[in-house]
Amino acid sequence: MHATIQKPIDEITGYLRPGEKVFVVGCGNCAAKCHSGGAPETEEMAERLKKKGVEVAGWACTDSGVSLCKLAIVKKMLNETYQTETEKADSFLILACGQGIHTVMDATEGGMVHPGCDTIFGGETVTDDFITEYCSLCGECIVEYTGGLCPVTLCAKSLLNGPCGGAKDGKCEVDRTRDCGWQLIYDRLKELGRLEEMDKYQTPKNNSRWSRPRSLTMVESGATFKSLAGELSISRKD
Amino acid sequence: MSKLKDKLSSREFVVTGEIGPPKGVDISGCLHDAEQLRDYVTAINVTDLQSAVFRIGSLAVSCKLVERRLEPIYQLTCRDRNRLALQSDLLSAWALGIENVLCLTGDHPAMGDHTEAKPVYDLDSVQLIKAASTLNQGQDMSGHELDSKPSFFLGGVVTPGADPVEPQVIKMKKKIEAGAVFFQTQAVYEPDKLEDFMNRVQGFNVPVIAGIVILKGAAMAKFMNQNVAGITVPDSIIEEMSDTPKEDRKKQAVEITARIIRQVKPLCQGVHIMPLGWDELVPQVIKEAEL
Repeated sequence: MHATIQKPIDEITGYLRPGEKVFVVGCGNCAAKCHSGGAPETEEMAERLKKKGVEVAGWACTDSGVSLCKLAIVKKMLNETYQTETEKADSFLILACGQGIHTVMDATEGGMVHPGCDTIFGGETVTDDFITEYCSLCGECIVEYTGGLCPVTLCAKSLLNGPCGGAKDGKCEVDRTRDCGWQLIYDRLKELGRLEEMDKYQTPKNNSRWSRPRSLTMVESGATFKSLAGELSISRKD
Repeated sequence: MSKLKDKLSSREFVVTGEIGPPKGVDISGCLHDAEQLRDYVTAINVTDLQSAVFRIGSLAVSCKLVERRLEPIYQLTCRDRNRLALQSDLLSAWALGIENVLCLTGDHPAMGDHTEAKPVYDLDSVQLIKAASTLNQGQDMSGHELDSKPSFFLGGVVTPGADPVEPQVIKMKKKIEAGAVFFQTQAVYEPDKLEDFMNRVQGFNVPVIAGIVILKGAAMAKFMNQNVAGITVPDSIIEEMSDTPKEDRKKQAVEITARIIRQVKPLCQGVHIMPLGWDELVPQVIKEAEL
């Protein structure tokens, strides 16, 4: 999931020009989980904006569990269900991640969009009120060798071949309240009886697979991942 | 020809020192520090933006040591450069007459004075050693031939006092496999711990140079215990220092440093003295340590 946090209200109102009519859009999936742009927060934002003197054309949020980054759904929502309101709007304020912002731009064929949130990381929803980061979307997963724990994400320096000398009492040098990622990996591999995995040399990352923007095309038999490293096609039929 | 390499290869006990480049363009102070070490050490480490604090670079200062016929150990960290810059700086270093390179991860920018800087770490220390060793073989990391090749004497670092120490030992082995042929350690004040560590790495058959920071007083020792990973100054040493009047501190620092060196000497193949500005004490330390 994409974790997001709302921008301060004054920053948002600062984006809007005098007399600009705004339509507020939320996401029923990730932003709802982050309480940054589900239906209640989207409605609430419409009210907060009105109180600040902003003209609000209306608001809409995808159904619970449905992501705003699905173009077909957003097209239907904004161009059919809420057509009357969106036609009156000069712009859209998106309470969702950056993918959601672009989806609204696509759905409205180039409508003016404003970000209502900062997209901060991809994470695991550990509890209803706690989300934390375990993956950096690097495109080259090596957790097979690290007991399922990602050193790119959990180590402050993203080291691939073991800890630096900076950990103290199992805590990271950048923040003594934060666990050293390599301490976690070491403990886990030891517990699994697979410590020998740590002996293996991990090659430097192929950063061209991390180059942006990347894309994924699905076909019946598999998918093709496109990045600066080229096109990687994987078949599910082998 | 690297004197450090010669001495370590012939199993001589070596002494190395360390200087820290300044924040500014006048390097006379650190060159003066280096001069004080001239007759007492085999080579001098030049730190690379130590503690992630912005300063003049280790390449320039190492080069200035070469000009003065002092032998540098050029410290190169992974924090600030990607693999293009690291490999290029290595070739530059060789062209400037630098042979010894110590490859390190580098303190995180969050520890220094430019906390919003992008931490690079495109390579880690093991991968950097491998890259440097590949340059020694006449190729770059992408497998392209160099038209002429360096012959670096490559070192790594290890923290014998880390708890647990096993991940350090695993990584040390990977550094050796990647091409590290000597090691310098984080500061050690407990000879017993160093002995345990040396027993663990005996089979690796690489020279280990034990680090020691000259302690300026009890407050510094306590600070290091609380804040620096892998360093433990025993209470007995802190107590010894806490009653000492200010005017006697240097004398005592010499005594303590020399004593630890005498204790660790049978365990390793050298000592790396980090004077942190008290460079003028090094000759006396070496005399009292009977080196």
